[in-house]
Formats: sequence, C-alpha cells, structure tokens
Amino acid sequence: MNGTVKITLAAAMLAGLSACGNTSADEGGAGPLAILAQTATQAVAARRAPDAPAAPARSPQDTVAEALRVNPGPLIQAGFENLGRTQIMAMTGQNGPMRTFMTPAEEAVILRDGLLVGTRGLGNDLSVAEPQLEAAIRAGASGSGSRIMRYYSGDGLERPLQFACRTAPGPNAGVLVESCEGHGISFQNNYMVQGGRIPVSRQWIGPALGYVTIQTLRP
Amino acid sequence: MRRSRLIRQLMATTLPITLVLGSGSGTATADPLLGRAMSTYGLPGGIDTPTAETLPDGTLGATLSWSDYARRGNVFFQALPGLTGVLRYARVDGINDYRNEGFISDRSLDLRYQVLGEEGWRPAVAVGLQDFLGTGVYSGEYIVATRSVTPSIRVSAGLGWGALAGKPRVIDVNDNGGTPNVDQWFSGGAKPFGSVSWQVNNKLNLVAEYSHDRYQARYSNGREFQQGKEPGSKLNLAANYQIGRNYSAGIYAIGGETIGAQVTVALNPREAAYPSGLEKAPAPVRPRPSPAADPEGWSGAWSQDPTAQPAIQKALGDAMAKEGQRLESMALSANRAEVRLRNLRYINQAEAIGRTARLMTRALPPSVETFVITSTTDGMPTSSVTLRRSDVERLENTDAARIAAAASLTDAPPRAPGLVPTDGIYPRFRWSVKPYLDLGIFSAEDGLTHEVGAEARASYEITPGLVATGALRQRAFGDIGQRGPAIGLPGTRGEYYTPEEYEADPSLETTPEGVPRVRSDTRMYTGNSSPVIPEATLAWYAKPTSTVYTRVTIGLLERSFGGVSTEALWKPANSQLAFGAEVNRVRKRDFDQLFDFRDYEVTTGHVSAYYEFTEGFTAQLDVGKYLAGDVGATVTLAREFANGWQVGAYATKTDLSADEFGEGSFDKGITLSIPIGWATGQASRDRVSTNLRSLSRDGGARLNVNGRLYDRVRDSHTVDLYEGWGRFWR
Repeated sequence: MNGTVKITLAAAMLAGLSACGNTSADEGGAGPLAILAQTATQAVAARRAPDAPAAPARSPQDTVAEALRVNPGPLIQAGFENLGRTQIMAMTGQNGPMRTFMTPAEEAVILRDGLLVGTRGLGNDLSVAEPQLEAAIRAGASGSGSRIMRYYSGDGLERPLQFACRTAPGPNAGVLVESCEGHGISFQNNYMVQGGRIPVSRQWIGPALGYVTIQTLRP
Repeated sequence: MRRSRLIRQLMATTLPITLVLGSGSGTATADPLLGRAMSTYGLPGGIDTPTAETLPDGTLGATLSWSDYARRGNVFFQALPGLTGVLRYARVDGINDYRNEGFISDRSLDLRYQVLGEEGWRPAVAVGLQDFLGTGVYSGEYIVATRSVTPSIRVSAGLGWGALAGKPRVIDVNDNGGTPNVDQWFSGGAKPFGSVSWQVNNKLNLVAEYSHDRYQARYSNGREFQQGKEPGSKLNLAANYQIGRNYSAGIYAIGGETIGAQVTVALNPREAAYPSGLEKAPAPVRPRPSPAADPEGWSGAWSQDPTAQPAIQKALGDAMAKEGQRLESMALSANRAEVRLRNLRYINQAEAIGRTARLMTRALPPSVETFVITSTTDGMPTSSVTLRRSDVERLENTDAARIAAAASLTDAPPRAPGLVPTDGIYPRFRWSVKPYLDLGIFSAEDGLTHEVGAEARASYEITPGLVATGALRQRAFGDIGQRGPAIGLPGTRGEYYTPEEYEADPSLETTPEGVPRVRSDTRMYTGNSSPVIPEATLAWYAKPTSTVYTRVTIGLLERSFGGVSTEALWKPANSQLAFGAEVNRVRKRDFDQLFDFRDYEVTTGHVSAYYEFTEGFTAQLDVGKYLAGDVGATVTLAREFANGWQVGAYATKTDLSADEFGEGSFDKGITLSIPIGWATGQASRDRVSTNLRSLSRDGGARLNVNGRLYDRVRDSHTVDLYEGWGRFWR
C-alpha cells in the first residue's frame, strides 16, 4: 500500500513537471512518462471520488426543468444503461431528419426522427446503424429484415455487424418491438411510435454500451 | 460498471510501459485453434514443449519465466495468422563462460508456422525452429500436432530434434552466431514429446507434458555444462491462471524437482480499451439554407468583399484549432475553397479530414461547392482530398465507404493560386521542460539499466518548413555510467576500456579488426553529470514538385554525430511505391555532447525503395554506405494496423565480415511502436516506440537523424489514408 502511494506521488510529481512549457497536448510531446503519470493521477482521483462528500443531490425533475429553461432548442434525455448515467442532451446540428444531440462534455447521440443512427465520444461508439425496417418501425407494422450496425473497432477500422430483425407490436399498446439476432447475441429495441415519430424509445447501441433509453423533452 | 471500466483503462494504460520494461506476455481465449497457455519459451504450448496452437493474429506480448534452469524474457508476436515469432533474452544458469559468473546471457529467436488448422478429425499441425540463428543452448526443431479431445482437453504430440530430443547441438565457441545453420536442422536423431492440457474453467489451465530436454550444453572446446539440476524424470506439470483479459501467471515443476514460475502479458492491437477513442464528438454538418433564404450567399457576390476571406479564415481556423488541427492557409473563391491543414491530434488522417470537411460546411458561404482539403506536414503539402459539399451534406453519418467513393485523392501542388497564410501562425516558438527516463532493457551483459533526468526542449518554426530544434538534458540519477568499448582482444573478453584509457589513445577508436568505432563506444556518451545537448538542428523541408519532397538538416543531428543530412523522396499520393535518397556528411561528436567534435568524419547515404502492400504490410530496401564506411543493404518488413500499431523486423548485411562485425555476424532487430491513444483512448499522435537490437555494433549503423520524410508524408497518401478512412465521420 505504502509503495503504491509512493509511486502515485512520484507519478503526480512527474506529471506536474511535465506541465512546464507552452507546448499543447496536441503538439505533443508530453511523452509516455507524462501521459502515464497523468492517467495514474486521474485514476487515483477517480478512485477517491466516491469517498468525497457527495454534492447535494438535485432531483431529476429539477435538472430537467433547468435544462428546459436554459436551452431554447430541442432536448432529449438519454439514459446509458451500461454507463450508469442519465444525461440531458441538446441539439447541436440538424441535417434533414438527422439530428445530433450532445452533452455538455460533447458526447453525441445522432438520431433520425428518433431512430438511433450513431454515437460519438463514448469510447465504444456506434459509427452508423442501417435498419432495413425503418419504414415498418415508423408505421408500427410487423415485418422482417436486416440491420447493419457499423462500429469503430480497436484496430482503427469501421466494422459492420449484420443482424436479422423482426418487428411486431409489443405487449404495451403503442409500443413497437424490433427483435434482432446475430453473432451469438440478441437485442430488442422498443419504440413508442406517434405519427411516424418516436418520442420515447429504448435502443441497443452495441455490445459494450448496451441500451440507451431516449426520451424527448422538447421536440 | 464504473469499477471495471477503470480497471480496464488502467490495465490498458500501463501495458505499453510494461512492455517496454520487458515484462509480460499473453495468452488466449478458448477458441479452438488458439493457445490457452504459454510455454516457458514464450509460445503457446505445454511447459517446455511446443504445441501446434497459435495466438490471435497480431498478438504482441511477453512471457517471463524463472526457474533454476534459466530466467527467460520472451517477446512474442503473431506476425501472420499462422506464423508466430519469439525473441528471447535468457540468463541460462549453470554455464560458465569467460566471465566465470555461473551463468551466460543468451539471445535467441524462434519461429513457428501452423501448417494446418484443426478441422474435423484432423489435428492442427505446426513446424517450428527454436533458437535457429546460430547454434545456441536451445537450438532444436520440431513437428507437432494438436487436437481437441473434448472442449476442455487438448492433446499434443510431436517429434523434436536437438535440445528437444535431449541431444543439444555442439556450440562452436569461435562462431559469432546470428546466421542460420541450416545443415543442422532436423538432424541428429529425433525423440517424441507430448502434452495434455485441461482447461478446468475460464481461468485455470492444467498441463502435463513428456519432455526429453535434459538441460545440457555442449561446446566445441569439449566443455559440457548441466543447466540447473538434471531432471529426475521426463514428466513436467504446470498450472496457469488467467487474470483479466491481458495477464496470466503460472507455476510449473520440471522433472518433479525443479519449480518455476512465469507471468505473461499479451496485447491484441484489435482490443483497445476504447475502440472508438474518447475524443469529443465532431461538430456536425450544417446544411445550407435554400437559395431563396440566402440569395446573396448563393450568388457568390460575397467573394468580391475583401473582408470576407479574413473573417471566414479566422473563424474556420479557430474551430479547427479546437479539433486539434492547424489551418495553415486557405484559398477561397465564389465556388471553391482549399484549406491546408496540419493534423496535430489524430492517428488517422481521415478523421482530421472528415472533421475539417464538416467545419467547412459550417463556415463557408453557400455558393462554395468544391472543398479541397490539403494535408500538410512540416510546411509541405502532402495530398489533397477533393469533396463536393453536397456529398458531405448528403452522406453525413453513413457508411464511410460512400464518402470515400465520392472523394478524390490527388497530389498536392507545392503552391496554389490564391493561398493566403493564416495570420499569427508563424513564427511559432514552443518550449517545454520535462523529465526523461532512459532504459537499457535487453543488454545481455548489463541487465536492466536506467537513467532519469530533466530535458528542456525548444522548437522555433520560423516559416512553414524551416524549423530550429534544440534539446538540453541534465541527468539526475541512474546506473548507465560512462564506459569505454569492450577491449576485444584475445583473452580480454568481458573487459572494457576505462573512459580515461579510451580518450587517451585515439588509435582505440578503431577496432582491432580495423572498423571505425561509430556505435560500439556509445557508452562513452552516457553518464555525463553536466548538461548535454542531445540534439540542436536547423531543418528545412520543401516540396519542389508535386511528387518530390526534400529535407536538409544541419547541426548536432544525434548524440554521436553532427553535420549535414540531406534527403529527397519521390512519393505520389496515389502510389504504393516510393523512392528516396539520402546523403549525409557527418563528424563524430565529442563525448561531452556539447559543441566539440572528434576526428572521425564520413559521408554516408542510401538509396531506398519503399512499398506499401495493402492489408497493412510494408517493405523497405536501403542500399548504401553506412556510418563506419561499410557498404551494404538493409531489408525491413513491417506490419501495421490502421490504429497505428507497427511491428517490424529488419536485417542489414554489409561488406564487413562476420568477424569484423563481431557477435551476431550482422545487424538485425525488431521495431515496435504503439500509439498511446490506443491504450488511453485519448486522441494523440504520440507513440511508445522501441527498437530491440544489439546497440553496440559498428557495422550496418545508420545516422539517427530526426524528420526522415517517408513516415511524415505517407499518412495522407493512398494506403494509410484509406486504411483509416473508417474514421472519416468520427
């Protein structure tokens, strides 16, 4: 334990040292040693975080109300199940029916009229989803077809995964379920469809990020 | 979830450094053909015997094993789906050489090829060469078959020659080693070996094996040694435990008496901690308003306004800077815009280009339909990607292949009409003070050595392509001391000149075989307690034609040499082939590493051919005169991944004889380079790189000048650019 502390301290000191200069992180040259030290410091900070006194919790309703007040444009609330966090995201761009929503930390979810197209900045991002059943989903109709999910893979490529999907009305009225299978896994996307739009949904991003629950706060 | 993410990040983050330190190595999952446990020789296997298993393609790692027989550090790489290579540094106990220390330090190289995969009733079959460069204590060959009997039990059986048959080859004490002794391969009589491996659960693997290795070494001068204790039986047992995705540890018993332990770390370039990176989302495309909504913008009349371009260029440059790129210059007309960018952040140039294309849709008036995005490095434009703005709008966040089909890649002319440099970029002065750590890892004689200190570094980009760089180092502590080269006369093996002796007699700067000492006295440059100047140069990069790049560097080029280095490279943006030429006139620097020089002066240079195969393989051939005046050629083969991982091997043969060259007979080595962003998820062009080689030989040595053109230029050329194109919309 003592040794760990010493190493952490030394690493922190090295990181402090490396801050000396006017070279930006991009121009690099921080070097492996400094980056390692910096990461170690961050990791220690992260590990300590739970011990720190928690900030007074705000109720979700307060958060939503404030976001609606501060932000005049379209807003969604996205709950990332595997990340264990729910965030309010504001629209930062619109290209036809495609909208990009971002958190204040500039992580993005891209939707096409409520249907998940991609994510950015989450570490295990979905590059692009190509659901063949888009029309059936919007119509609330049953059907079957393929879904291609393209991911940024660790080796620097974009890799497509193809799934076989079926849509059918779910057990709850107004909810359409898209069930997909392939590559040894299966997932179900749930859409609440209203006039071709999807104000509420639970959609699968990918193996690492799992599901995201999307709720439209302001269309 | 939070905890496991943290652990994953930590693990992945520490790995490259672990690797540099020489620890670690890896194992694999329960895929039918992939190894489940590593042998003490750093290959998928039993304990001392091999199996026909492989590792996931591209796996790089290390296995460290300890026992009374030896301590082995094995660095392994799955170079092709069937081809596994291992570079081994071993301290073999029980053998005395001239140093009389009770052990020898030994380097060795193995190759194994899986000829057949397991299919139906047919087992997987592999052929391997162990310690095959020169004759060494581990030299042997084998053919082995492995088959799964049940999902958890695998059986391997094979025939071994040499050490594997308990018939060690006779080591020629006068041989310099390093060249394959093909005539001995698969000779001297074979003996069978075998192993059974039981995967008890996800973590635990048990192995029992039958091995004929007797751990003996025989030399041509008649001496024979027993490494450790002669095994009492031919049965060896081991238990291995997998820890997380990257680590495993094991204990083993050889012959029922000798106990050993091993740890392995394995990295797979395909398994990044954050495959898509953690960098912020790009600014999205902003589609143009309809012509009715912005008639003036669509008319192009704005281009007559002299204040338009400066305002647009400022806004675009600021936005690009936030996304890690420098807008060097821009040409703007009513319907076409060219931006010249320098990518400072992303490993994949396509990501920089994709982000810039989107920023252009946000900054440029609607009448601009043609986007030309020109990549630059060190002031030299390297290639242009031309896109239609309507394609960028139409294809945003679709399959990256679609925008690739709509884009065109062309050579970038050195100058383009209308290019306006961005204000306030040049001159640019950058400085930093930071700690440094030098590690001597795989020196057979010295073990692990280190030096820690502080380094001040400054660069001054006077105009695009003209850069002054300087560095100043002050050592704080460490055990890499100053030392003369090995004496190298009969009866003096293992003895070194003292720094005083070496400096007092200039004739010592030539080896007894008559080769000028250009690298074998490299330790004379270490251990300075006063400040040293590792580098102080003025470099000028230029692009005389649209396919030719040039560099002139003058000053203190590297630790041991200063002078003038000139280079030219022909590399069209759409060519997989490139040619280069380099001529240097250099003089040996004094050992205090300040501004004085020694007497040795040489003209050294090469002509080079480079070829990028698709699928990530590159080849390079250099022919020319090396630092010691020897003439020859270097062949380099490398494997690269789109995420920036590079693993290469090279060999240099010059007109120096094996005796003139010394131990190893000719220069060869392995290069590794891992992008830091792969481990941390943070976008960065920084890398951890290392070169595993014998540093102290004079033959086949090249100047270590910074800024060689090829690797700077090809990032934005056809093979590299399109390999990473999947990140265009990232």
